Amino acid sequence: MKKSEPMSESYYYILLCLAKGANHGYGIMQMTKALSQGDVVIGSGTMYGATDNMMKKGWIREIRSDGPGLERRRLYQLTDEGREALRTEIARLRRMLDNAKEV
Amino acid sequence: MAMEYRTSCRAYMVWNYRQEIEDLNRASEQGWQLVRGGCFHSRFVKNPDLRFRYQMDWRNVEDMGRYVETFREQGWEYINSTFNGWHYFRKFYDPALKEEDYEIVTDRESLLAMRRRWSRMLLALGAAVLVYTAVCGVRAVRTPNLPWLLQILLLLAVCVFLLRGGWLMRDPDAGPRGGRGLLRAYFLTLLLGWAAVLVLLHLRPHFVTNSQTEELTEPYVNERWMDFEVYYPDHYYLDLDLSADAPFTFSIVNDAGETVYTVTGTEIHEEHIRLWLGRRWYWFSSSCSGAFELNVRLD
Repeated sequence: MKKSEPMSESYYYILLCLAKGANHGYGIMQMTKALSQGDVVIGSGTMYGATDNMMKKGWIREIRSDGPGLERRRLYQLTDEGREALRTEIARLRRMLDNAKEV
Repeated sequence: MAMEYRTSCRAYMVWNYRQEIEDLNRASEQGWQLVRGGCFHSRFVKNPDLRFRYQMDWRNVEDMGRYVETFREQGWEYINSTFNGWHYFRKFYDPALKEEDYEIVTDRESLLAMRRRWSRMLLALGAAVLVYTAVCGVRAVRTPNLPWLLQILLLLAVCVFLLRGGWLMRDPDAGPRGGRGLLRAYFLTLLLGWAAVLVLLHLRPHFVTNSQTEELTEPYVNERWMDFEVYYPDHYYLDLDLSADAPFTFSIVNDAGETVYTVTGTEIHEEHIRLWLGRRWYWFSSSCSGAFELNVRLD
Protein backbone atom coordinates (compact mmCIF):
# COMPACT_ATOMS: atom_id res chain seq x y z
CA MET A 1 0.00 0.00 0.00
CA LYS A 2 1.24 3.49 -0.80
CA LYS A 3 1.85 5.62 2.28
CA SER A 4 -0.51 8.32 1.11
CA GLU A 5 -3.35 5.96 0.21
CA PRO A 6 -6.05 6.27 2.86
CA MET A 7 -7.56 3.12 4.29
CA SER A 8 -11.32 2.71 4.42
CA GLU A 9 -12.99 2.99 7.81
CA SER A 10 -13.94 -0.71 7.82
CA TYR A 11 -10.42 -1.84 6.96
CA TYR A 12 -8.99 0.40 9.64
CA TYR A 13 -11.28 -0.85 12.39
CA ILE A 14 -10.89 -4.50 11.41
CA LEU A 15 -7.10 -4.20 11.63
CA LEU A 16 -7.39 -2.25 14.85
CA CYS A 17 -9.59 -4.92 16.41
CA LEU A 18 -7.03 -7.56 15.51
CA ALA A 19 -4.06 -5.60 16.85
CA LYS A 20 -4.23 -7.23 20.28
CA GLY A 21 -4.94 -10.74 19.09
CA ALA A 22 -6.96 -12.98 16.78
CA ASN A 23 -10.70 -12.55 16.72
CA HIS A 24 -13.70 -13.93 14.87
CA GLY A 25 -15.94 -11.93 12.55
CA TYR A 26 -18.69 -11.28 15.06
CA GLY A 27 -16.15 -10.26 17.70
CA ILE A 28 -14.64 -7.75 15.29
CA MET A 29 -18.06 -6.33 14.50
CA GLN A 30 -18.94 -5.95 18.19
CA MET A 31 -15.56 -4.49 19.08
CA THR A 32 -15.77 -1.99 16.22
CA LYS A 33 -19.17 -0.83 17.43
CA ALA A 34 -17.86 -0.44 20.98
CA LEU A 35 -14.63 1.32 19.97
CA SER A 36 -16.43 3.78 17.71
CA GLN A 37 -19.27 4.20 20.22
CA GLY A 38 -21.73 3.00 17.62
CA ASP A 39 -20.55 5.32 14.87
CA VAL A 40 -19.04 2.55 12.77
CA VAL A 41 -21.06 -0.56 12.03
CA ILE A 42 -19.64 -3.36 9.94
CA GLY A 43 -22.35 -5.38 8.21
CA SER A 44 -21.83 -8.98 7.18
CA GLY A 45 -21.36 -8.17 3.49
CA THR A 46 -18.81 -5.49 4.26
CA MET A 47 -17.07 -7.81 6.72
CA TYR A 48 -16.74 -10.65 4.23
CA GLY A 49 -15.58 -8.37 1.40
CA ALA A 50 -13.05 -6.58 3.60
CA THR A 51 -11.57 -9.74 5.16
CA ASP A 52 -11.44 -11.38 1.73
CA ASN A 53 -9.50 -8.43 0.29
CA MET A 54 -7.21 -8.13 3.28
CA MET A 55 -6.37 -11.84 3.12
CA LYS A 56 -5.49 -11.38 -0.56
CA LYS A 57 -3.29 -8.42 0.37
CA GLY A 58 -1.65 -10.59 3.03
CA TRP A 59 -2.67 -8.26 5.89
CA ILE A 60 -4.62 -10.90 7.79
CA ARG A 61 -4.78 -14.69 7.79
CA GLU A 62 -7.45 -17.16 8.78
CA ILE A 63 -6.77 -19.57 11.62
CA ARG A 64 -8.90 -22.09 13.50
CA SER A 65 -9.73 -21.63 17.13
CA ASP A 66 -8.59 -24.40 19.45
CA GLY A 67 -10.23 -22.99 22.58
CA PRO A 68 -12.84 -25.04 24.46
CA GLY A 69 -16.28 -24.72 22.89
CA LEU A 70 -14.89 -22.80 19.94
CA GLU A 71 -13.60 -25.78 17.95
CA ARG A 72 -13.11 -25.09 14.28
CA ARG A 73 -14.36 -21.52 14.58
CA ARG A 74 -12.71 -19.20 12.10
CA LEU A 75 -10.52 -16.50 13.54
CA TYR A 76 -8.65 -13.73 11.80
CA GLN A 77 -5.11 -12.88 12.76
CA LEU A 78 -3.02 -9.86 11.84
CA THR A 79 0.13 -10.57 9.80
CA ASP A 80 3.31 -8.51 9.91
CA GLU A 81 2.26 -6.79 6.68
CA GLY A 82 -1.14 -6.01 8.20
CA ARG A 83 0.46 -4.59 11.33
CA GLU A 84 2.68 -2.41 9.17
CA ALA A 85 -0.31 -1.22 7.13
CA LEU A 86 -2.12 -0.32 10.35
CA ARG A 87 0.92 1.57 11.68
CA THR A 88 1.18 3.51 8.44
CA GLU A 89 -2.50 4.42 8.58
CA ILE A 90 -2.30 5.53 12.22
CA ALA A 91 0.73 7.68 11.35
CA ARG A 92 -1.18 9.20 8.44
CA LEU A 93 -4.18 9.98 10.64
CA ARG A 94 -1.92 11.42 13.34
CA ARG A 95 -0.18 13.62 10.78
CA MET A 96 -3.54 14.88 9.55
CA LEU A 97 -4.63 15.63 13.09
CA ASP A 98 -1.35 17.47 13.79
CA ASN A 99 -1.87 19.49 10.63
CA ALA A 100 -5.33 20.42 11.81
CA LYS A 101 -3.91 21.55 15.16
CA GLU A 102 -1.39 23.78 13.40
CA VAL A 103 -4.10 25.68 11.56
CA MET B 1 -51.62 -29.52 7.44
CA ALA B 2 -50.34 -29.08 3.90
CA MET B 3 -48.04 -26.15 3.33
CA GLU B 4 -49.27 -23.49 0.98
CA TYR B 5 -46.78 -22.36 -1.66
CA ARG B 6 -46.83 -19.70 -4.32
CA THR B 7 -44.43 -18.67 -7.08
CA SER B 8 -43.86 -15.08 -8.05
CA CYS B 9 -42.61 -14.39 -11.57
CA ARG B 10 -41.75 -10.78 -10.87
CA ALA B 11 -38.51 -9.79 -12.62
CA TYR B 12 -36.17 -7.14 -11.24
CA MET B 13 -33.32 -5.36 -12.87
CA VAL B 14 -30.01 -5.24 -11.06
CA TRP B 15 -30.36 -1.51 -10.33
CA ASN B 16 -33.71 -2.29 -8.69
CA TYR B 17 -32.46 -4.88 -6.20
CA ARG B 18 -33.40 -2.64 -3.25
CA GLN B 19 -36.95 -2.76 -4.55
CA GLU B 20 -36.81 -6.56 -4.52
CA ILE B 21 -35.63 -6.53 -0.90
CA GLU B 22 -38.51 -4.23 0.04
CA ASP B 23 -40.98 -6.49 -1.75
CA LEU B 24 -39.60 -9.57 0.07
CA ASN B 25 -39.97 -7.78 3.41
CA ARG B 26 -43.52 -6.77 2.54
CA ALA B 27 -44.37 -10.33 1.49
CA SER B 28 -43.00 -11.60 4.82
CA GLU B 29 -45.23 -9.14 6.69
CA GLN B 30 -48.16 -10.58 4.74
CA GLY B 31 -47.19 -14.11 5.78
CA TRP B 32 -45.35 -15.21 2.64
CA GLN B 33 -41.82 -16.35 3.47
CA LEU B 34 -39.19 -16.72 0.76
CA VAL B 35 -38.10 -20.30 0.16
CA ARG B 36 -36.01 -19.72 -2.94
CA GLY B 37 -35.12 -16.43 -4.56
CA GLY B 38 -34.43 -16.08 -8.26
CA CYS B 39 -33.86 -13.63 -11.07
CA PHE B 40 -37.08 -14.43 -12.85
CA HIS B 41 -39.17 -16.24 -10.28
CA SER B 42 -39.19 -16.72 -6.52
CA ARG B 43 -40.92 -19.32 -4.39
CA PHE B 44 -42.74 -18.54 -1.15
CA VAL B 45 -44.37 -20.56 1.59
CA LYS B 46 -47.30 -19.31 3.65
CA ASN B 47 -46.46 -18.87 7.33
CA PRO B 48 -48.11 -15.88 9.00
CA ASP B 49 -46.47 -16.74 12.35
CA LEU B 50 -43.02 -15.69 11.15
CA ARG B 51 -41.63 -12.37 10.08
CA PHE B 52 -38.24 -11.85 8.49
CA ARG B 53 -36.09 -9.09 7.11
CA TYR B 54 -34.34 -10.03 3.86
CA GLN B 55 -31.10 -8.98 2.27
CA MET B 56 -29.45 -9.65 -1.05
CA ASP B 57 -25.74 -9.59 -1.67
CA TRP B 58 -23.99 -9.77 -5.02
CA ARG B 59 -20.45 -11.04 -5.20
CA ASN B 60 -18.27 -13.78 -6.54
CA VAL B 61 -17.76 -15.93 -3.45
CA GLU B 62 -14.63 -18.02 -3.39
CA ASP B 63 -15.11 -19.51 0.08
CA MET B 64 -18.81 -20.22 0.56
CA GLY B 65 -18.28 -21.70 4.03
CA ARG B 66 -16.57 -18.56 5.34
CA TYR B 67 -19.12 -16.37 3.56
CA VAL B 68 -22.17 -18.07 5.10
CA GLU B 69 -20.46 -18.18 8.51
CA THR B 70 -19.75 -14.44 8.40
CA PHE B 71 -23.44 -13.80 7.88
CA ARG B 72 -24.56 -16.43 10.38
CA GLU B 73 -22.49 -14.75 13.07
CA GLN B 74 -24.76 -11.72 12.77
CA GLY B 75 -27.93 -13.78 12.77
CA TRP B 76 -28.43 -14.04 9.02
CA GLU B 77 -29.71 -17.29 7.59
CA TYR B 78 -28.53 -18.18 4.11
CA ILE B 79 -31.41 -19.03 1.75
CA ASN B 80 -29.91 -19.62 -1.69
CA SER B 81 -27.80 -18.20 -4.49
CA THR B 82 -28.66 -17.55 -8.10
CA PHE B 83 -26.65 -18.47 -11.19
CA ASN B 84 -25.54 -14.84 -11.65
CA GLY B 85 -24.08 -14.36 -8.18
CA TRP B 86 -26.93 -13.01 -6.05
CA HIS B 87 -27.18 -14.44 -2.55
CA TYR B 88 -30.34 -14.29 -0.45
CA PHE B 89 -30.32 -14.04 3.35
CA ARG B 90 -32.97 -13.58 6.02
CA LYS B 91 -33.04 -12.66 9.67
CA PHE B 92 -35.84 -12.73 12.20
CA TYR B 93 -37.56 -9.37 12.43
CA ASP B 94 -36.92 -7.56 15.69
CA PRO B 95 -39.13 -4.51 16.26
CA ALA B 96 -36.47 -3.09 18.61
CA LEU B 97 -34.00 -2.76 15.73
CA LYS B 98 -33.90 0.11 13.28
CA GLU B 99 -34.06 -0.57 9.54
CA GLU B 100 -30.40 0.39 9.12
CA ASP B 101 -29.47 -2.35 11.62
CA TYR B 102 -30.42 -4.85 8.91
CA GLU B 103 -27.95 -3.48 6.40
CA ILE B 104 -25.27 -5.93 5.30
CA VAL B 105 -23.20 -3.54 3.21
CA THR B 106 -22.41 -0.72 5.57
CA ASP B 107 -19.58 1.06 3.81
CA ARG B 108 -19.71 3.15 0.70
CA GLU B 109 -16.59 1.52 -0.76
CA SER B 110 -18.20 -1.93 -0.90
CA LEU B 111 -21.38 -0.50 -2.34
CA LEU B 112 -19.43 1.42 -4.96
CA ALA B 113 -17.32 -1.63 -5.78
CA MET B 114 -20.44 -3.74 -6.30
CA ARG B 115 -22.10 -1.10 -8.46
CA ARG B 116 -18.91 -0.60 -10.46
CA ARG B 117 -18.70 -4.33 -11.19
CA TRP B 118 -22.28 -4.37 -12.41
CA SER B 119 -21.82 -1.15 -14.34
CA ARG B 120 -18.79 -2.54 -16.17
CA MET B 121 -20.62 -5.75 -16.96
CA LEU B 122 -23.73 -3.99 -18.27
CA LEU B 123 -21.75 -1.45 -20.29
CA ALA B 124 -19.60 -4.20 -21.81
CA LEU B 125 -22.69 -6.24 -22.65
CA GLY B 126 -24.41 -3.17 -24.08
CA ALA B 127 -21.34 -2.40 -26.20
CA ALA B 128 -21.21 -6.01 -27.47
CA VAL B 129 -24.89 -5.86 -28.45
CA LEU B 130 -24.24 -2.49 -30.10
CA VAL B 131 -21.43 -3.99 -32.22
CA TYR B 132 -23.70 -6.90 -33.19
CA THR B 133 -26.46 -4.39 -34.04
CA ALA B 134 -24.01 -2.47 -36.26
CA VAL B 135 -23.08 -5.69 -38.08
CA CYS B 136 -26.77 -6.48 -38.57
CA GLY B 137 -27.27 -2.86 -39.67
CA VAL B 138 -24.68 -3.22 -42.43
CA ARG B 139 -26.45 -6.35 -43.66
CA ALA B 140 -29.83 -4.59 -43.46
CA VAL B 141 -28.55 -1.66 -45.52
CA ARG B 142 -27.23 -4.03 -48.20
CA THR B 143 -30.28 -6.25 -48.28
CA PRO B 144 -33.08 -4.45 -46.48
CA ASN B 145 -36.15 -6.39 -45.48
CA LEU B 146 -38.82 -6.07 -42.82
CA PRO B 147 -37.71 -8.83 -40.36
CA TRP B 148 -34.14 -7.52 -40.31
CA LEU B 149 -35.18 -3.92 -39.81
CA LEU B 150 -37.51 -4.93 -36.99
CA GLN B 151 -34.74 -7.00 -35.42
CA ILE B 152 -32.38 -4.00 -35.52
CA LEU B 153 -34.96 -1.86 -33.73
CA LEU B 154 -35.30 -4.54 -31.05
CA LEU B 155 -31.51 -4.85 -30.68
CA LEU B 156 -31.26 -1.07 -30.32
CA ALA B 157 -33.89 -1.21 -27.58
CA VAL B 158 -31.79 -3.86 -25.78
CA CYS B 159 -28.67 -1.68 -26.20
CA VAL B 160 -30.36 1.37 -24.71
CA PHE B 161 -31.64 -0.76 -21.85
CA LEU B 162 -28.21 -2.24 -21.02
CA LEU B 163 -26.27 0.99 -21.45
CA ARG B 164 -28.77 2.96 -19.40
CA GLY B 165 -28.59 0.30 -16.68
CA GLY B 166 -24.79 0.41 -16.75
CA TRP B 167 -24.87 4.17 -16.50
CA LEU B 168 -27.34 4.12 -13.60
CA MET B 169 -25.16 1.66 -11.69
CA ARG B 170 -22.28 4.13 -11.77
CA ASP B 171 -24.21 6.41 -9.47
CA PRO B 172 -24.37 4.95 -5.93
CA ASP B 173 -27.43 6.96 -5.08
CA ALA B 174 -29.37 6.19 -8.23
CA GLY B 175 -32.13 3.71 -7.92
CA PRO B 176 -35.04 4.16 -10.23
CA ARG B 177 -37.92 2.94 -8.19
CA GLY B 178 -41.33 1.96 -9.35
CA GLY B 179 -41.67 1.87 -13.09
CA ARG B 180 -42.32 -1.85 -12.86
CA GLY B 181 -45.23 -1.44 -15.29
CA LEU B 182 -42.87 0.17 -17.76
CA LEU B 183 -40.38 -2.68 -17.36
CA ARG B 184 -43.11 -5.23 -17.94
CA ALA B 185 -44.28 -3.33 -21.03
CA TYR B 186 -40.68 -3.21 -22.27
CA PHE B 187 -40.16 -6.96 -21.94
CA LEU B 188 -43.56 -7.67 -23.45
CA THR B 189 -42.70 -5.44 -26.43
CA LEU B 190 -39.38 -7.27 -26.90
CA LEU B 191 -41.08 -10.63 -26.66
CA LEU B 192 -43.81 -9.70 -29.12
CA GLY B 193 -41.25 -8.03 -31.38
CA TRP B 194 -39.10 -11.13 -31.65
CA ALA B 195 -42.19 -13.30 -32.08
CA ALA B 196 -43.14 -11.00 -34.98
CA VAL B 197 -39.64 -11.39 -36.46
CA LEU B 198 -39.97 -15.17 -36.33
CA VAL B 199 -43.43 -15.09 -37.91
CA LEU B 200 -42.27 -12.71 -40.67
CA LEU B 201 -39.24 -14.90 -41.39
CA HIS B 202 -41.43 -17.99 -41.49
CA LEU B 203 -43.89 -16.38 -43.89
CA ARG B 204 -41.25 -15.33 -46.41
CA PRO B 205 -41.04 -17.45 -49.56
CA HIS B 206 -37.71 -19.16 -49.23
CA PHE B 207 -36.71 -21.79 -51.72
CA VAL B 208 -34.04 -23.02 -54.12
CA THR B 209 -34.88 -24.68 -57.42
CA ASN B 210 -32.53 -26.51 -59.76
CA SER B 211 -33.54 -27.63 -63.23
CA GLN B 212 -31.72 -28.75 -66.33
CA THR B 213 -32.55 -30.31 -69.71
CA GLU B 214 -30.55 -32.36 -72.20
CA GLU B 215 -32.69 -31.21 -75.10
CA LEU B 216 -36.24 -29.88 -75.52
CA THR B 217 -38.81 -31.82 -77.54
CA GLU B 218 -40.48 -28.51 -78.22
CA PRO B 219 -39.53 -24.97 -77.18
CA TYR B 220 -40.87 -23.51 -73.93
CA VAL B 221 -43.01 -20.45 -74.48
CA ASN B 222 -43.93 -18.63 -71.28
CA GLU B 223 -43.89 -21.95 -69.45
CA ARG B 224 -45.41 -21.39 -65.98
CA TRP B 225 -43.79 -23.12 -63.03
CA MET B 226 -43.09 -22.69 -59.33
CA ASP B 227 -46.11 -20.81 -57.98
CA PHE B 228 -45.61 -19.08 -54.65
CA GLU B 229 -47.46 -16.65 -52.42
CA VAL B 230 -46.08 -13.48 -50.90
CA TYR B 231 -47.83 -12.78 -47.60
CA TYR B 232 -46.56 -9.28 -46.97
CA PRO B 233 -45.04 -6.59 -49.20
CA ASP B 234 -41.30 -6.32 -48.78
CA HIS B 235 -37.98 -6.53 -50.56
CA TYR B 236 -37.18 -10.08 -51.64
CA TYR B 237 -33.92 -11.30 -53.09
CA LEU B 238 -33.34 -13.44 -56.14
CA ASP B 239 -30.20 -15.38 -57.09
CA LEU B 240 -30.04 -16.57 -60.70
CA ASP B 241 -27.55 -18.99 -62.16
CA LEU B 242 -28.32 -19.78 -65.81
CA SER B 243 -26.45 -21.48 -68.64
CA ALA B 244 -28.39 -22.09 -71.86
CA ASP B 245 -27.57 -23.17 -75.43
CA ALA B 246 -30.05 -20.64 -76.81
CA PRO B 247 -31.36 -17.33 -75.42
CA PHE B 248 -33.41 -18.07 -72.30
CA THR B 249 -36.00 -15.73 -70.86
CA PHE B 250 -36.74 -15.97 -67.14
CA SER B 251 -39.61 -13.93 -65.70
CA ILE B 252 -41.60 -13.53 -62.51
CA VAL B 253 -45.27 -12.86 -63.14
CA ASN B 254 -48.02 -12.03 -60.66
CA ASP B 255 -51.66 -13.09 -60.62
CA ALA B 256 -52.65 -9.75 -62.22
CA GLY B 257 -50.64 -10.79 -65.25
CA GLU B 258 -47.91 -8.21 -64.61
CA THR B 259 -44.30 -9.17 -65.17
CA VAL B 260 -42.38 -7.96 -62.13
CA TYR B 261 -39.00 -9.18 -63.32
CA THR B 262 -37.62 -10.49 -66.59
CA VAL B 263 -34.20 -11.25 -67.97
CA THR B 264 -32.92 -12.86 -71.19
CA GLY B 265 -29.55 -14.37 -71.93
CA THR B 266 -27.51 -17.52 -72.30
CA GLU B 267 -25.22 -16.96 -69.31
CA ILE B 268 -26.64 -15.17 -66.27
CA HIS B 269 -25.01 -15.31 -62.85
CA GLU B 270 -26.61 -12.73 -60.60
CA GLU B 271 -26.95 -12.57 -56.85
CA HIS B 272 -29.19 -10.52 -54.56
CA ILE B 273 -31.40 -9.07 -57.26
CA ARG B 274 -33.69 -6.90 -55.19
CA LEU B 275 -37.41 -7.19 -55.97
CA TRP B 276 -40.26 -5.34 -54.34
CA LEU B 277 -43.12 -7.84 -54.20
CA GLY B 278 -46.62 -6.96 -53.06
CA ARG B 279 -49.00 -9.32 -51.35
CA ARG B 280 -49.99 -11.62 -54.23
CA TRP B 281 -49.50 -14.93 -55.94
CA TYR B 282 -46.50 -15.18 -58.27
CA TRP B 283 -44.93 -17.74 -60.51
CA PHE B 284 -41.83 -18.17 -62.60
CA SER B 285 -42.16 -18.15 -66.35
CA SER B 286 -39.57 -19.40 -68.85
CA SER B 287 -39.12 -19.26 -72.61
CA CYS B 288 -36.37 -21.29 -74.17
CA SER B 289 -35.54 -23.30 -77.28
CA GLY B 290 -32.42 -25.23 -76.28
CA ALA B 291 -30.88 -27.18 -73.45
CA PHE B 292 -30.33 -25.24 -70.23
CA GLU B 293 -29.31 -25.44 -66.62
CA LEU B 294 -31.08 -23.06 -64.24
CA ASN B 295 -30.68 -22.53 -60.50
CA VAL B 296 -33.00 -20.06 -58.81
CA ARG B 297 -32.96 -19.01 -55.19
CA LEU B 298 -35.56 -16.69 -53.70
CA ASP B 299 -35.44 -15.35 -50.18
